Amino acid sequence: MSQSLRPYLTAVRHSLEAALTLSNFSSQEVERHNRPEIEVPIQSAELLLQPMHISRNENEQVLIEPSVNSVRVNIMVKQADEIEQILVHKFTRFLEQRAEAFYILRRTPIKGFSISFLITNKHTESMKTGKLIDFIIEFMEEVDKEISEMKLFLNARARFVAEAYLGEFVY
Amino acid sequence: MLHLSANNTLLEATLIELQQAVQENSPLVVDRIVSDFDHTSFHLVTPDNDNRQFIHLSIVTKAWPSLAQCGGVDESQLIQFINGKLTNQATEILPKNQTTQGYDMTVRVDLTKLDDESIHNLSLLKTYVMSFPFQLAFDEFQRLSQQFATLAPGEEESSLSQPHRGQSYRIQYRDDENIYVQPSNDRITVIFETIFKDETDKIFGKVFLQEFVDARKRNRSIQSAPQVLFSNVAPREIATTSMENSDSRFITFVLFPRHFNNTETQFKTISQILQFRNYFHYHIKCSKAFMHSRMRFRVNTFIKVLNRAKFDSEENEDGEKEPQQRRTFTGRKMVY
Amino acid sequence: MSDWRRIDIDAFDPDCRLTANDLIPPYERQVTLQELQPKMEQLRTLSSGGDTRGAVQLITQDPPYSADDTTKNQYFQVVLETLSQVRQADIINIVKELNTEQQIVLVKYLYKGMSLPEGQKQGGILLAWFEKLTQSSGVTPIVHYLSDRRTV
Repeated sequence: MSQSLRPYLTAVRHSLEAALTLSNFSSQEVERHNRPEIEVPIQSAELLLQPMHISRNENEQVLIEPSVNSVRVNIMVKQADEIEQILVHKFTRFLEQRAEAFYILRRTPIKGFSISFLITNKHTESMKTGKLIDFIIEFMEEVDKEISEMKLFLNARARFVAEAYLGEFVY
Repeated sequence: MLHLSANNTLLEATLIELQQAVQENSPLVVDRIVSDFDHTSFHLVTPDNDNRQFIHLSIVTKAWPSLAQCGGVDESQLIQFINGKLTNQATEILPKNQTTQGYDMTVRVDLTKLDDESIHNLSLLKTYVMSFPFQLAFDEFQRLSQQFATLAPGEEESSLSQPHRGQSYRIQYRDDENIYVQPSNDRITVIFETIFKDETDKIFGKVFLQEFVDARKRNRSIQSAPQVLFSNVAPREIATTSMENSDSRFITFVLFPRHFNNTETQFKTISQILQFRNYFHYHIKCSKAFMHSRMRFRVNTFIKVLNRAKFDSEENEDGEKEPQQRRTFTGRKMVY
Repeated sequence: MSDWRRIDIDAFDPDCRLTANDLIPPYERQVTLQELQPKMEQLRTLSSGGDTRGAVQLITQDPPYSADDTTKNQYFQVVLETLSQVRQADIINIVKELNTEQQIVLVKYLYKGMSLPEGQKQGGILLAWFEKLTQSSGVTPIVHYLSDRRTV
C-alpha cells in the first residue's frame, strides 16, 4: 500500500465510525413517513450534521454527509486520463445497475463524485457497523486496483493484437 | 481466433456441400444468402429446377459503385479483372442483363466441373472484388518507378521534393467510411477512414491504434511490416477528396515494394489489409466483453464482503454458538 | 375559501422549519479581519521562527467562530500555511500537548482544509495530521466536530 493511501483510508474509517451513529427518526414533514433525512428535498437544518470532506488530492476524495438517520458517502475515484475515466464510468454504472444486491449503494452518484452510498438506520440495525465500514474501505482499495488492472490489460491486449497483425506482413 | 480468414467459410462450405451432392447424383436445389463483412452478401440459387448442376452465385457489396469507378467510366474493367482471377472451366460471369435482381454481379457455376481449388477461389470472391484498385495501384507503381528510374540524376533531385504521385483510388466500403489507395514512385499508401460511433469505442480505438503505430518501433522482429500512422485529421494525400467529419479517424499503412513484389505477397498483403477494420473492431469488442465478465466477477466479490456485515451470516461464519434450543419434556420449543 | 384544504399552513408558521442560519449560535459581535491581523502576523512570525508548536497552540485557541465567511477563509490560509510547515515527526508530539477543546478546533481546520482546493493540494499533510490526531484521541474530536455548529 502506498504511503499516502493508508492515512487516507484510516481517515475515512474514523470519520465513518463517528458518523455511523444512526437512530430511527420519523419524518417531521409527512406524518407516518420515515425517510433518510439527508435525501429529502426540503431539508431541515437541525437534522443534518457537519459534512466531512476527506481528500488525498484533487482527484481522490470522499465526502461523508451525516444526518440523524442516514449517512451519504460519496467517493471520487482517481481518473488520471480518459481511459481511466471511461473505465471508472463503466465500472460504477455496472455496480449501480446491481444496486439492490448491495443494499447501501445509491443508484446515482451525487454531482461531482463517481459513486455514492446511502447508509440508513435500517442498515445499521440489520448489519454490523464495523463490517459495513470494512466494506467501504475495501471497496475503495479494490476499485483503484481494478481500474489500473483493466487499463493494463487493455494496453497489453492492444499491443499483442497490433503485433500479431503486423507480424503477418513479414514475409 | 486471433486472425480472420480472407475467404468466406460459409460460402466455401455451401459449395462443397453442393458439389458433393452432385457427385452423389442427388443434386440439391439451393437458395441461400450468405453474409460477409461490410454490407456484403452472397446469394446462391439454383436457377433451373431441372438442370441442377448449375447454380448462380451473386454478390452485392457497398463498395461496388466506387470500385467500378476506379477503372474508368463503367464496370467492364472490373468485371474483366474478376474474370481473370476466377478463370477456370467451372465459372462464367454472366452479362449485366442476366445479373440477379438487386445484386452487383452474378457468376454461373457448373458444379460438375468444380474442384477444390476453384471452390476456394470462389469463396475468396469478395477479396478479389476488393483487390481491383490495389491491382491498379500496383500497375501504376510499376509505371511510376520505371519513369523515375529513367530520370537523369539532376532531375531526380528536383523530383524528390515533389514525390511522383499517381492517381488515388477510393473505395467506399461502408456508408461513411472509405479506403484510399495512393500509389507513388517508391511506395503505396493505403489510408483507412473509420468512424467510432460509441464514446467508449473511440477511446479504446485510440489505445489500440496507438499500439499499431508503436508496435513496429518496439518489436524488432516486425520491423519489415508496413509503417502505420494514425491521425484525427485527413492526411495530406486525401485532404482534397475527403469530406470533413470530426468523428473520422485516419489510419495510414505505408506499403513498401517488398510487400508487393510478387503475386503471392501481393495477394497476402491485400487480404490482410482488407481485414484490418474487421480485425481491429473485433478486438475492441472482445476487450469490452472481457471487461464485462471481469466486472461481473468483481461485483460478486464485493457482495460477498458486504454480506459479511449481515448479522445472521456473521454468527455462523465466526462459529459463535447460537444458544442451544431448549425443549420441554413434550418436545415443544421453550420460549423465554 | 373553498380550497382551504390545499392551503400550506406551514407557510404561515415562521418557526416551522429551521435553516442553517438559524443554527449558528448567537455571537455577541463579529470578529473582523482587522482584529485578526495581529494574530495572523504572530502566527507567521512563530512558524517562520521555527516555533511550530507555539503556532499550533495559537491557532487552536480562540478560533474566529463569529467572523464571516471571507474573513474565515483568509484566516484559514495562514492556518494552512502553519500546518504545512510542521515537520512530520513533530506532529505527534504537538497533537499530544493539545487539550480536548483544542483538538476539536484542529479537526475542524483539517476537514475545512480538505474541502477547499488549496487544502486538497496538501492532502497528504492534512491526512498526516488527521492520522496522528486519531491515534492519540480516537474518534472523540470527530464526534464533537459532527455536532458542533460553530464553524471555523
